[in-house]
Amino acid sequence: MTLESLPGEDPPVLVFRDVVKVYPLPAGDVTALDHISFTVDRGEFISIMGPSGSGKSTLLNLMGCLDTPTSGDIFIGGTRIGDMSDIELTNLRRDHIGFIFQYFNLFPLLNVIENVNFPQMLKSRSKVDEKKAVTVLRAVQLDEHLYVHTPLELSGGQQQRVAIARALINDPDILLCDEPTGNLDSKTGASILELMAELNRNGTTIIVVTHDPRVASYTSRTIQIVDGRIEP
Amino acid sequence: MSTIFWEISKRNIRLHMLRSSLAMLGIIIGVVAIASMGILGNSMVQAVSASLSSVGDSVIVMPYVGGGMGFGGGGGGSSANLMLTDQNYQQIKRVVAPNVAIPVHSTSEHMRMGVGSDDIVATIYGLPPDQTKDILPDLSAGDYNNGNSGCLVGATFATDHNVKVGSRISIGTDGQYGTLRVTGIIKERGMSFDISTDNAIVVTKDWFESTYSDQDQYNEVVVKVTSGDTADVKTTIENQLNRNIKQKTVTVIDSKATLATIYQTFGTITTFVTAIGGISMLVAGVSIFNIMMMSVNERIKEIGIMRSIGTQKKEVMSMFIYEAAIIGVAGSLIGGVLSLLGGYAISALMLKTTQYLFTLSSMLSVVEGVSFGIVICILCGLYPAWQAANLNPIDALRHE
Repeated sequence: MTLESLPGEDPPVLVFRDVVKVYPLPAGDVTALDHISFTVDRGEFISIMGPSGSGKSTLLNLMGCLDTPTSGDIFIGGTRIGDMSDIELTNLRRDHIGFIFQYFNLFPLLNVIENVNFPQMLKSRSKVDEKKAVTVLRAVQLDEHLYVHTPLELSGGQQQRVAIARALINDPDILLCDEPTGNLDSKTGASILELMAELNRNGTTIIVVTHDPRVASYTSRTIQIVDGRIEP
Repeated sequence: MSTIFWEISKRNIRLHMLRSSLAMLGIIIGVVAIASMGILGNSMVQAVSASLSSVGDSVIVMPYVGGGMGFGGGGGGSSANLMLTDQNYQQIKRVVAPNVAIPVHSTSEHMRMGVGSDDIVATIYGLPPDQTKDILPDLSAGDYNNGNSGCLVGATFATDHNVKVGSRISIGTDGQYGTLRVTGIIKERGMSFDISTDNAIVVTKDWFESTYSDQDQYNEVVVKVTSGDTADVKTTIENQLNRNIKQKTVTVIDSKATLATIYQTFGTITTFVTAIGGISMLVAGVSIFNIMMMSVNERIKEIGIMRSIGTQKKEVMSMFIYEAAIIGVAGSLIGGVLSLLGGYAISALMLKTTQYLFTLSSMLSVVEGVSFGIVICILCGLYPAWQAANLNPIDALRHE
């Protein structure tokens, strides 16, 4: 099933339509998301905010195709993810979504260039564009002398730049960020947000899940979520 | 091969070098145990095979000793009960024709190499001169003895007592049975079912009978089977001479069948000792399983990240299987090389020879040990790899 769109018009990058997520627990079902609907158009920079336990993480997992909804439809780039197999969801994550985590989550055994190239290698084992990694690393303003260093030899801000470069290497439709500045000092956090804003100005669609209002101030739209529902 | 996962596996082994080396050591010990035991077993079989092969296709007929029932009468004493009569011999000769039946006398006797030399006790065999060549086809020196004043000596006897062609041996405690001249030296035969000549002397049947007044009684009859199968010849003799089931006359040994039984026994021993080596390999496998589980548990978050950014389950699985395989292949190959040294040492210590070390069957033992090591490692890495691949990415990402 694909999302209908007007002729000559790109479908929205992300569509949530009446999405419900229920976790069955021994003590009783817990509804983490309750009939959520929203649309993200290409080129948007959106923040999703809410207190702890509001359903942000569940929403992030669904947007990142790490989980599937109990009911409702989710479309990524016009394709419904509900009926996809694990292999298809994995390929979708690889090709259409770039993840940025609070704790950077780089591979400690790989150096900067290898970390950035990793998603490229997953996509095409034989055709890794070595120059692309350098281009992306320049775009995230990481010093070239750090390219052969391992993550543990970098500062938090430098690691997050590498993580952003890794997320961008396969030209994803969406950059999905989970508290991207949550583990950085305010100055470094601000520089990372500046970088993300610049990437957005260059056309990258970015969704940031956060509870930091300063992060939200960089975005063009904020979706507030409380008790599994979107606040009007 | 997915190079990035191969690379990560290699680096993870390097990162945990001590742990990986210890697991590898277990595999090395397992391979050495299996392959060395295999080499020893195969070397034993080949050593025995080499010493028994000269027997050829023979059927040996001996007086029946089972159950204490003898044959032939008279003479009293048990020794008389352990002889074949000339009548038995004639019967055997008739039923095995056209194969040759050779009557064999034997006894232990004192002898000296010369005046003043030490007294020796050795076996004396008495064989018909015209049939000696049938039992003893190879001499290392000299010629066959046709007269009653000559004898042949075994290879070990000749070496131990410095006997050469032309040497004289005085027979009897005081030389009362006369002196025999050595006409030839019998090539080394090793263990044999018929007669063991290496540490013995061989005289003519006539000399033996006249010396020991032992006519018409033989210790055994050797049938050299040139026509038909040894098993058939054995059955024919048994049917003819052991008609009375309650009072059997002869025990018949089929050298070929006995040889086969010996090989089978050695095969069983080899399998048994190799299986003991296999236990150490299983222990090593458990250690591989353990470190692979540790590796998976330490990297749950990494696995979650990999899965979240688009790594397929089979790719995660391959990464852990590579790790187990690297340890397995490296450990097994090192074990294979060391097992040659181990096999050399064990063969040298136990068999006193290493000539069978580089034979095909010994090399096959090494290949088996190495293959078993690799297979065990990969098998023991499968479950941890499968577990890693099937982690829920959301749970794995949350893991601290």
